[in-house]
Amino acid sequence: MDVKAVPKKLGLKEKYRHLTRGLGWEPSYQTREALFPYAGYEGIRIHDWDRWEDPFRLTMDAYWKYQAEKERKFYAVIDAHAQNNGHLNITDARYLSALKIFLQAISPGEYAAHRGFARVGREFPGVGTQVACQMQAIDEIRHAQTQIHALSNYNRYYHGFHAFADARDRIWYTSVARSFFDDAMSAGPFEFMIAIGFSFEYVLTNLLFVPFMSGAAYNGDMATVTFGFSAQSDEARHMTLGLECIKFMLEQDPANVPIVQRWFDKWFWRGFRVLGLVSTMMDYMLPKRVMSWREAWEIYGVENGGALFADLARYGIRPPAGWEDAGKAIDHMSHQFMLGLYQWSFGTSFHSWIPSEEEMDWLAEKYPTTFERWYRPRWDHLRKLAAAGTPFKNFGLAKLCQCCQLPVVFTEPDDPTLSCHRELEYKQEKYHFCSDHCLRIFEDEAEKYVQAWLPMPQLFQAPLNGDVGAWMAWVGLKDGLDNGDFAGSPDQRNFEQWRRNATRNHREGEAQ
Amino acid sequence: MSFRLTIEPLGQEIEVAPGQTILDASLRAGIWLPHACCHGLCATCKVQLLDGEIDHGEASSFALMDFERDEGKLLACCARLESDATIEADIDHDEDARNIPVRDFVGTVARIEDLTPTIKGVFIDLDQAMDFQAGQYVNLEVAAPAGARRAFSIANAPADGRHIELNVRRVPGGQGTGWIHDQLRLGDRVRLAGPYGRFHVRRSAAAPMIFLAGGSGLSSPRSMILDLLAAGATEGITLVQGARSREELYYHQEFVALAAAHPNFRYVPALSDAAADADWTGFRGFVHEAAAAHFDSDFRGHQAYLCGPPVMIDACINALMQGRLFERDIYTEKFLSAADAQQARSPLFRRI
Repeated sequence: MDVKAVPKKLGLKEKYRHLTRGLGWEPSYQTREALFPYAGYEGIRIHDWDRWEDPFRLTMDAYWKYQAEKERKFYAVIDAHAQNNGHLNITDARYLSALKIFLQAISPGEYAAHRGFARVGREFPGVGTQVACQMQAIDEIRHAQTQIHALSNYNRYYHGFHAFADARDRIWYTSVARSFFDDAMSAGPFEFMIAIGFSFEYVLTNLLFVPFMSGAAYNGDMATVTFGFSAQSDEARHMTLGLECIKFMLEQDPANVPIVQRWFDKWFWRGFRVLGLVSTMMDYMLPKRVMSWREAWEIYGVENGGALFADLARYGIRPPAGWEDAGKAIDHMSHQFMLGLYQWSFGTSFHSWIPSEEEMDWLAEKYPTTFERWYRPRWDHLRKLAAAGTPFKNFGLAKLCQCCQLPVVFTEPDDPTLSCHRELEYKQEKYHFCSDHCLRIFEDEAEKYVQAWLPMPQLFQAPLNGDVGAWMAWVGLKDGLDNGDFAGSPDQRNFEQWRRNATRNHREGEAQ
Repeated sequence: MSFRLTIEPLGQEIEVAPGQTILDASLRAGIWLPHACCHGLCATCKVQLLDGEIDHGEASSFALMDFERDEGKLLACCARLESDATIEADIDHDEDARNIPVRDFVGTVARIEDLTPTIKGVFIDLDQAMDFQAGQYVNLEVAAPAGARRAFSIANAPADGRHIELNVRRVPGGQGTGWIHDQLRLGDRVRLAGPYGRFHVRRSAAAPMIFLAGGSGLSSPRSMILDLLAAGATEGITLVQGARSREELYYHQEFVALAAAHPNFRYVPALSDAAADADWTGFRGFVHEAAAAHFDSDFRGHQAYLCGPPVMIDACINALMQGRLFERDIYTEKFLSAADAQQARSPLFRRI
């Protein structure tokens, strides 16, 4: 009998290579530089694009199948949530503030990431990189859509959800997240990858998503938990892409190391500032707490970050410049930020409130070195004013940091009694900053940041000319419905009423 | 009744016992499949069934979705065979790996030699020849603690496979190595299993090789170098051998002689604590320092093979990376203690 020689089968890696690399072609009547005009100007030197390792070997065909099944599972849960009045299962309506901030600030970020990855997928010369970016671009738009769909159920019952797109473009606190993504999207393709693919998706994503999703689970919000699971199942791929990209840059040429270091410094700090919003959510906005912001930082920041920095050190990369100051801020930032949100609550499309005694005891336990000494007295004072019928409102407008766009509400890293404020004059204009790190970022690229759109100056320009009422209409904020103290808000009243109706018989004279 | 499993793209056939998982059978047969949690949750070990019947066992429905089951995906850590079967796994085809099945062997201690004050050479004549690749290791059964096995790299070249040499450093307070040093006698019968490991020379890379060895980590590099030189390899081969002092530096004369006989072989011994060795003219310092000095901190274009204690490996990887040699060209054999495995690692690197 003849023995048939069986040709060795291709490994998955080779198969994948054939399915992807074969897609590229060598230009004949154009130069490569003309085809990929943005690949060089950041100074990153790449000698061999074929050295890019595709970190996950997923073909488009398989990708659609996975995502389709995820979508089916997700929308089944969303339908059930809508049909069973899932909105009444949340712990209490204060939880909605966390959702509103997420929808106004983070979901548009997913959409921005989609646009960014679609763009850099076109701008990178390597085929492996192009395919990976294409998949992530589709992931990101799916995340934005599933989040918007999941939260649209709440929009049928509660205030503050209806104008998230306008809020994203115009309101002041969302400009923190918006400027983060705008900054990344107006950078070159390599910097975008460090900003979003690495700093955000790898270094910071767990600090955002894990507490937020556990918070949703703890507070009975199955719709949000499900979009979380659906999105998280893509994150392993996203993180790997970011990690692969930073390794690739560092290995291709030693001249890339200082450039990557500067981006790492910049984007760690920018990401850390965006996460200020998450800290208030974890420490103040969840009626049922998961863990404190400090505890999350210990696990997802210090432990994971430490392991990463040790590995990056092999390439000659040191921990980001703001790392130490970030650590010093951890015990203060959520309190300082929440105090800011409370005093400007007339201008927020969500509610804030004074924490209860019981909640302050929890905060004191989680922040033993800071809360009793610096922050409880301030909340006590605010409570006294509110009880006297003269709640404290800060009708002055916040001074914004020209870089991160947060109001300058934080204190010096080593002195919690001294407001941290930096100032710089550039071409006869005065600019303000919340920290040394934001100032340094500005100095590195001053011509970029002088163009930043800042919400406060916008209020004083035509056509608003400082008219706060007109501003509210412009940002889609309905005074007395969307904003202000949670206590006495329509959201609070309605939720309590509907929940009562759901568990006992309706009585005359009650709202429906 | 056991079934036969064919693993693509290797095309290799193995036996799978009743109730045995595909992952377990593969690993025991010397075929490394990607795996992590080992109980059906993480899906790292997802492979494609091409032919045959299997039982999915306790695979989670989140890790292995329904449509994937319909398409014949399975989790190797949970799946058991119900007929002869063929799977296709995401194995980086390693054309230099010979995938030799692990077997049990019995042998007789033919010689014991003091190589240094802390390292003994144990020479074993096997009843049956063992096929192995230079760089692989065996698990030797020791009498204390009773029933335990200890891993030792084979220090000689494969040649006829009837003789193997193990270099055993006495681990302070270690029972297993203590037994070998104090109790094992000439003529004793010993049992061992092997060959294990994927630490072997990648000759297909056709690049000059650097071997960095510390202490008794010399075994694998020695086996590899003897094998290469015997086979007439012409690639550049550099061995940097580190020891604390002159008396701990073993097989020194052998390598000096090899370097004299083979123009493509360079030998760089380094002593980290040579205070008492006034006449030492070689390098004074650690292995990674000697390597950096010898190559002027430029390792580009090489393949590096590292064997030794974890601190040495770490220092060497740092030195290699600073000299622009990266993960894809660095191979290590690390024998990790339980404490090493506990250390938090980032996912930046996979193998090193």
